Amino acid sequence: MNKRYGWYGLLLVGLGVTLTVYLTRPHLKTVEGVTVGTALGGDDNAGYQRAYQPRPFRFPDDHGPHPEFRNEWWYVTGNLADTTGRSFGYQLTLFRIALSPDPPAMDSAWRTNQVYMGHFALTDVVNEKHYGFERFSRGAVGLAGAQARPFRVWLEDWALAGTAVDAFPMRLRAQDGGITLNLTLEAGKPVVLQGDRGLSQKSAEPGNASYYYSHTRLPTTGAIALNGQVFQVQGSSWLDREWSTSDLGPEQSGWDWFALQLDDGRDLMFYRLRLKNGGMDTFSKGVLVDQKGQARLLRWGAVDVQPLGEWISPQTGDRYPAGWRLRLPDEKLDLTVTPKVADQEMRLTVRYWEGAVAVTGRTGGRPIQGQGYLEMTRYELFLSKK
Amino acid sequence: MTPLFWKALLRHPLRHPWQLSLAILGIALGVAVVVAVDLANASARRSFDLAMERISGAATHRIVGGSEGVPETLYVQLRVEQGLRPAAPVITGYLPNADRPGQLLQILGVDPFAEGSFREAAADLTNGNFDLGALLLNADAALLPESLGAQVTLKRGEQRFPLQSVGTLRGPELDGLVIVDLATAQHLLGLPGRLSHIDLILPDSSVSEGRAAILRSELPPDLQLEQPDERNQAMANLSASFSLNLTAMSLLALVVGMFLIYNAISFSVVQRRALLGMLRALGVSRRELLIGILGEALLLGLAGTLLGELLGLWLGSGLVNLVTRTINDLYYVLSIRAFFVDPGSLAKGATLGVLATLAAAWLPACEAADAPPGAVLSRAYLESRWRASLPRFLLVGLALLGAGGLVLLFSHSLVTGFIGLFLLILGCALLTPPLVVSLVRLSQPLTTRLGLLARMANRDVVRHLSRTGIAVAALMVAFSATVGVGVMVDSFREGVAIWINDLLNADLYIAPPGIEDSRGRSEAVTAEALAVLRSEPGVVAVSTYRGNRVDLDGRPVILIAADLASASQAGYRLVNGDADSAWRAFQTGEAVLISEPLAYRRQITVGDALELPTDQGPHTFPIAGVFLDYGSEHGRILLHRSGYARYWCDPTIGSVAVFAAPGENLAVLRERLQNRLSATQPLIFRSNRDIQRRTLDIFDRTFTITNVLRLLAILVAMVGVLSALMALQLERVREFAVLRTTGMTAGEIGGLVSLQTGFMGAAAGLLAIPTGLLLAAVLIFVINRRAFGWSLPFEANPLLLLETLALAICAALLAGLYPIWRMTRARPAEALRTE
Repeated sequence: MNKRYGWYGLLLVGLGVTLTVYLTRPHLKTVEGVTVGTALGGDDNAGYQRAYQPRPFRFPDDHGPHPEFRNEWWYVTGNLADTTGRSFGYQLTLFRIALSPDPPAMDSAWRTNQVYMGHFALTDVVNEKHYGFERFSRGAVGLAGAQARPFRVWLEDWALAGTAVDAFPMRLRAQDGGITLNLTLEAGKPVVLQGDRGLSQKSAEPGNASYYYSHTRLPTTGAIALNGQVFQVQGSSWLDREWSTSDLGPEQSGWDWFALQLDDGRDLMFYRLRLKNGGMDTFSKGVLVDQKGQARLLRWGAVDVQPLGEWISPQTGDRYPAGWRLRLPDEKLDLTVTPKVADQEMRLTVRYWEGAVAVTGRTGGRPIQGQGYLEMTRYELFLSKK
Repeated sequence: MTPLFWKALLRHPLRHPWQLSLAILGIALGVAVVVAVDLANASARRSFDLAMERISGAATHRIVGGSEGVPETLYVQLRVEQGLRPAAPVITGYLPNADRPGQLLQILGVDPFAEGSFREAAADLTNGNFDLGALLLNADAALLPESLGAQVTLKRGEQRFPLQSVGTLRGPELDGLVIVDLATAQHLLGLPGRLSHIDLILPDSSVSEGRAAILRSELPPDLQLEQPDERNQAMANLSASFSLNLTAMSLLALVVGMFLIYNAISFSVVQRRALLGMLRALGVSRRELLIGILGEALLLGLAGTLLGELLGLWLGSGLVNLVTRTINDLYYVLSIRAFFVDPGSLAKGATLGVLATLAAAWLPACEAADAPPGAVLSRAYLESRWRASLPRFLLVGLALLGAGGLVLLFSHSLVTGFIGLFLLILGCALLTPPLVVSLVRLSQPLTTRLGLLARMANRDVVRHLSRTGIAVAALMVAFSATVGVGVMVDSFREGVAIWINDLLNADLYIAPPGIEDSRGRSEAVTAEALAVLRSEPGVVAVSTYRGNRVDLDGRPVILIAADLASASQAGYRLVNGDADSAWRAFQTGEAVLISEPLAYRRQITVGDALELPTDQGPHTFPIAGVFLDYGSEHGRILLHRSGYARYWCDPTIGSVAVFAAPGENLAVLRERLQNRLSATQPLIFRSNRDIQRRTLDIFDRTFTITNVLRLLAILVAMVGVLSALMALQLERVREFAVLRTTGMTAGEIGGLVSLQTGFMGAAAGLLAIPTGLLLAAVLIFVINRRAFGWSLPFEANPLLLLETLALAICAALLAGLYPIWRMTRARPAEALRTE
């Protein structure tokens, strides 16, 4: 009799343990489509304008929106520090997403096909803290929108705005969760057109390209309020502007994007399109901008990019490279890129890693340093099979 | 106590299944009515709470608007310039489902991007539970509840709006809800540029209180910051009087049920007098006997309660439709019409059923236990005690009547009103046995002339007073309840008919098609259309109206901005204030006339002042008169157009009353006006007859549930007559056998029984009439006034009274049929042997 109860007991304990293990297993969310476009607008390109060939850029008009393309973004990142050397990284990105190629019938002021998504992040390097926020709004009734003259793009009280005549000096304001950013960005160098005169081809499919320009160095001053403390800061920011109706190619799995400002005055941008087989797509490319703002296109073969180590997100379980080595043999540049804080994962509707990085390395035998921003996308454990 | 004791005791009810089942049925019906009404009330309340919850979600505060709602620009300003978050814009309203007549759907217009922390249904942006893109882009996209399927067509006035489902709302709490994008909602409800309110979440802390205070001070004067919980509570309380009335009526059924239980138990005690005496003689103590009889009653009560709960569930699921329909007509829209079984209601019903049974059994049980053991609880003993206590009945009855009267006179609340009412009923019930004796005495000269049978029948009633008295009292209470409620409803209807006839004395009423907006306003009559009406030679006078809802103590009071022709003024009957000076003051636009319910609730009258929330901020208006009105229990306020134009930013006119020139053919005039106006604006023409008919239709619909409860009370009464009289007659099998052996024919026995039951029925019916009229008077002059503030005329329809009497006699005669059938079949010798 007793023996039998013993067996039952063991069985129960076993069941209990199994159940506990099952219930406390890490929840790994299946990520559907990661690009903002697919998250909101679907991936139907029909009806939208696409980037087939280089076009003339006109400013300040092109700082404003291009609603006939599906996606567009104003992407500001930067590294700042106060006089005591306490350093911060920040990101403010405003995405415009079209839900349909044509505007809907206006039966109400709220009706629109334009949706805005904002990502705002601050990295407190000393405390190894990273704060990320997200917002959505429709581009109607004044809640969110973009305009060229005078330049302004805003999502509620997150905003980038120029003066009456030009986009620069640009005021950047954002606040959330007890953090306030109030910055002024000056144009340190002229605008850089990426790719082929601003046409940045992303895959072999014609039209799968974006119009892409950057302001790679924007001397920045202003104030950061964090948990009731105000820091007067200065540093350097980077503005990326891109609009397109494009997706990753079928063989591409994600990308890594580097925006590095070297202390010899040069800036380096490179995006590495990853292939599902683990290699680097030949459409990966970048640009090297000299002290005066002269830009040189960097094609696939010109840069050797190697991930260093691995960092596993304790929150999501995603595995990202812990650092990078970039070598440009023609320039005799050999750079090591290290996150200033390991966990700068943006755990938002769209999950990616984006954060402030420190750069060390050598150029032609001399040591060189720098800082910048790094973006790593689509390192989810389970990618959708679609 | 030995099992033998219990066996001895319980054998009796089991041997008399008829008696047993009728007693159980009596309890069951009483419990069923209470449970059903309570379930229906609780269901309506739950539906309301759910409907409010799904609208307010997690919001702790909301900014609500004046007459125009909240301008959308305020929301944008708060969010963009002040960074106020979380904040969510909301548009709500109700539109009828064109596919299912009678179904109102709750429209919830939201901005999915702002929904995040407020409501779950439309907040899930990326998980793909619904097609967000379609919801934002398509003017016909909506999230629909499962029950509606893939599409639905809404109606606003003559316009139809077909909607396609782009996502399914699951769960009973989302039934009857249509979630659309804000843009779609503005379009559907015709509110461009407007929001119903702005939801906020201000965490419960001193910081947020400071924030709320700042926000409050910064809002424009016509906007307020309020807490939805409080608002919902206030709104739910709107129908509290209605619910209380239903509950009181259901308790009336239980009281009638209690009389029936008392009757059944005391009867079964009397029947077992020999057994009980024997048990006492054998050493069963007084206490044990008491416990035994109460225990038996408890079993009976439990069985009846159980059956009653089941019946109540069934009945309640039917009643809930009537309750929600009435609430929809009178108070607020309930878009959920689910039947929720509230365990609390069931528990309440069970407790009441068991307690009522025990209370009703207490007296007979004491009586049985008190009887001296040897002497046996003889019939003669019992009857003599009863007769001896008649003066006491008289005294206590009169005392209760007096107490009831005092309570009614010197109290003011609705609940004490009901307490007074129940005291009066109880008093009348106690007076019944002495009155029955008097009736018998009175009828003696009559019965003497009718012969031996009649005389026997008559005197038997007094001889068996211990049972006949209670039976007649129970029947009297049951029938008086139906008389009282019937007279009240008739009086009410009469009052409404006269009122609406006086009020709507114009020949034609003209208004744009379309339902009211969220502020209770219809679409506007255009200035051109008004000009056409005024210029028509066949029209001698025109009155214009604009209805607008204002919030007074959380109640939606209707403000009528009117420019009245003198004939229209004559339609208002002032119950307070001098007509000449009242209308003179009204013409200035600085004084208001208020309806009687409002005056009663606020205890204000002519000479007092009333503060109204105008579009310019609060403003105080002196009261020039109080008019009779059944239009809204929350109250209506009449203000001259000129005053309305000064204090509200709403220059529009909602409807027009037209007085035709004398001798004008109305049909011709109507057609001419319709022809002339068809080019300017589509308008609906109604004659005063149409509106009167519609008003009375709504009235009748409202009182359907009252009539249902009245029918139930009649049913309980009928069961009471059957069980009481049938048992009484069955008990006399031996007596009748003796009569048979002494030469009486079966037919004569039948006649005797019928005469006797008929007499009791008649007595109950006769006594029910004055009691019922008293009840009606209390319902009309006390209960209705305290609950709703109406003053009603007193109109007793003689037909209703006769009907009650006839019903009582018929039920009584019906009750005699089975005993007669049994007695005529039984052989007297056998019947004699039974004891």
